[in-house]
Amino acid sequence: MQGKKTRWLTYAMALVFSLSMVSAGVAADKEIRIGAVYPLTGNLASTGLDCLHGAELAVDIINGKYPDLSLPLAKTAGLPNLGGAKIKLITADTKGEPRNGQAEAERLVTQEKVVGMIGAYQSAVTKTASQATERLRIPYVCSDSSSPTLTERGLKYFFRVSPHDAGFARDQLQFLKDIEKARGVKIRTIAVLYENTEFGSNVGKQVLALAPEYGFKVVADISYTANATDVTSEVGRLIRANPDVLMHASYITDAILFTKTFKEMGFHPKGLLTFAGYIEPGYLPAVKADANGIIVRSTFALDLAKSKPLVAKVNALFKKKYGIDMSENAARSFGAPFVIADAINRAKTTEAEAVVKALLATNIPGSELIYPWKGIQFDPKSHQNVYARGILVQIQNQKYVTVWPFESAAAKVIWPFPAWAGRK
Amino acid sequence: MEKTAFRRIAPGAAVLAALLVFPHFVKGSFPMHVMIMTFMFAMLGVAWNLLGGYAAMFSFGQAAFFGIGAYTSTILLMYYNVNPWIGLFAGGALAALTGAAIGIPCSNLRGHYFAIASIAFAEIVRIQFNNWKFVAAAEGLSLPLLPASLRNFMFHTTKAPYYYIMLAFLALSLLLCRYVSTNRMGFYLRAVKESHEVAKGMGISFVRYRLYAIMISAFLTAMAGTFYAQYILYIDPESVLILPISVQIVLVAMLGGAGTILGPVIGAAILVPLSEYTRVWLGYKGTGLDMMIYGALIMLISAYQPKGVWGMLTSIGKRAK
Repeated sequence: MQGKKTRWLTYAMALVFSLSMVSAGVAADKEIRIGAVYPLTGNLASTGLDCLHGAELAVDIINGKYPDLSLPLAKTAGLPNLGGAKIKLITADTKGEPRNGQAEAERLVTQEKVVGMIGAYQSAVTKTASQATERLRIPYVCSDSSSPTLTERGLKYFFRVSPHDAGFARDQLQFLKDIEKARGVKIRTIAVLYENTEFGSNVGKQVLALAPEYGFKVVADISYTANATDVTSEVGRLIRANPDVLMHASYITDAILFTKTFKEMGFHPKGLLTFAGYIEPGYLPAVKADANGIIVRSTFALDLAKSKPLVAKVNALFKKKYGIDMSENAARSFGAPFVIADAINRAKTTEAEAVVKALLATNIPGSELIYPWKGIQFDPKSHQNVYARGILVQIQNQKYVTVWPFESAAAKVIWPFPAWAGRK
Repeated sequence: MEKTAFRRIAPGAAVLAALLVFPHFVKGSFPMHVMIMTFMFAMLGVAWNLLGGYAAMFSFGQAAFFGIGAYTSTILLMYYNVNPWIGLFAGGALAALTGAAIGIPCSNLRGHYFAIASIAFAEIVRIQFNNWKFVAAAEGLSLPLLPASLRNFMFHTTKAPYYYIMLAFLALSLLLCRYVSTNRMGFYLRAVKESHEVAKGMGISFVRYRLYAIMISAFLTAMAGTFYAQYILYIDPESVLILPISVQIVLVAMLGGAGTILGPVIGAAILVPLSEYTRVWLGYKGTGLDMMIYGALIMLISAYQPKGVWGMLTSIGKRAK
């Protein structure tokens, strides 16, 4: 075993092995390190980056002085109770896999010495990441995963700011009731269509459980894989079921594929109520006018600025930094850093038990939020924000406009769903 | 003679000693995680090797056995309160039976056809689990947190026990693989690999030995599955039953050197740290650069050294003599 080639190879292998030994990251003083786990590569990369941008802007606002913003900690630089300490976001890539969620959360805590965690967009990844922080006793504030199970686990260190899918499903069904009343129409049957990972199945489960309570009959219950390349058979089944309303829980690529297939095959329900994928930044440019009339659940829309001037100011900052308007994903992820920074500031320490205590006492008023909620307060048991609720936006003239609840609507809802033909 | 024996054993003993003391010197949880994942994929590669390396049954469906292992022990623990160590063997046995059940119709298939059948089988299992309410379908199962102990197969504050358990599993797999390859079964399998017809003509019941190979491979793969469930504490079809896991297993074995005992270990020792650390160093920027480097390395090795890294080492070794 001699020769140059062997030696070179030995070095290379020694290098690979020695990588395992490297540990990095020494925390600087007066810097509060918060971990952020998102899917930054893989097929959810654009979504993950969008979420991360929202969180980054929030950190900018906390660290800088923004006297004209009514957000928590905006007016002062850093955290005043900790001598103006700045928040530093330490990001990590999960590739969208639960196993990496756990590994990265552990790495951020043990090596990067983060004192709090945010993320991870996909509920399955948030599950493992928050389980890791629970074992390591680090507070985790999530504002971008919507699986109801996350706050049903009774974790001590996990808090959720944003609404979950059970709430969203309820919102959509309530909307149908409201529209029946407002327009004097009758809606009898719904079909539920969902991608078959944790997120979609949960939505499906919620709709199936809640629909009878609202007096609707579920005539089709169809699940599919989000990375499918052909969905004609699913759409065929929908056409045969002929529901009044379709509820669809999807990620982005499948949302685009289904929209195109709906049009091609002429599937035309009275209402198309959707979740998640239909509101991502890549969706509208891909389908353009074919998206008009689709209703999506959301926690945020830019036209909330009509009743909340804060929304326009935050969006202006976002646009200046990233060149695009703030999406719903960015807006949701924007919430968590404020909540965790506010708690640390009130606790006057980054020590986990004190921060958890402060989180439980969180009371951020609605006027300090970009969301149309009464505020943020956590349920003492589940740690779910009791005021979190959804809104419905409709795509009208290729823009997302708030249509429900009717009192904060920016435009009247278009009902029934407009014909496919003659769109431009 | 003694000297050569010493020289043959010394490197292996040194590596083993280094691995045994590793957790005492490295305290960070991430390096430990990388090592554990390396051992796990090495074990999965060794198990695959019994099929693909020795018997030319290129299975792209190992994720099914992995998932069966993970789900069996978890279901037994959650619904019937069965200790995960018993679940480990139950999962292994169930996977071996499943392997036999599909092995009987498939063991006559050769080359590409076996590969296709194995993919189809794994996808059927995945879709089944994804829609099966009893196993919580796509929602997945979160394991209950039990007090940390070897008996419970669960540890919270340290990864060292997981590390040693996985190292022991890997050692067990290697010994088994060595035993098989140096015994009658190994020779039979290789004979079948070289030529079906000749082996058959010589009276080798290749169907029987292929079945044995599938069952052993399935059992070991399911063991790793149970380990995964106990380690991550959350399983869903997307994390234990998907095709990329099967592909990763094949990659580990092929890159390291299929049909050699240590090949899959070397493959895992290169691929797993590479993918974990490129993610840490480059992934957080969201550029995808880590995936490109990962892919480029696999292409380079497969283009220039189709026998794998182990093949490269031995051919250099032979030339040097």
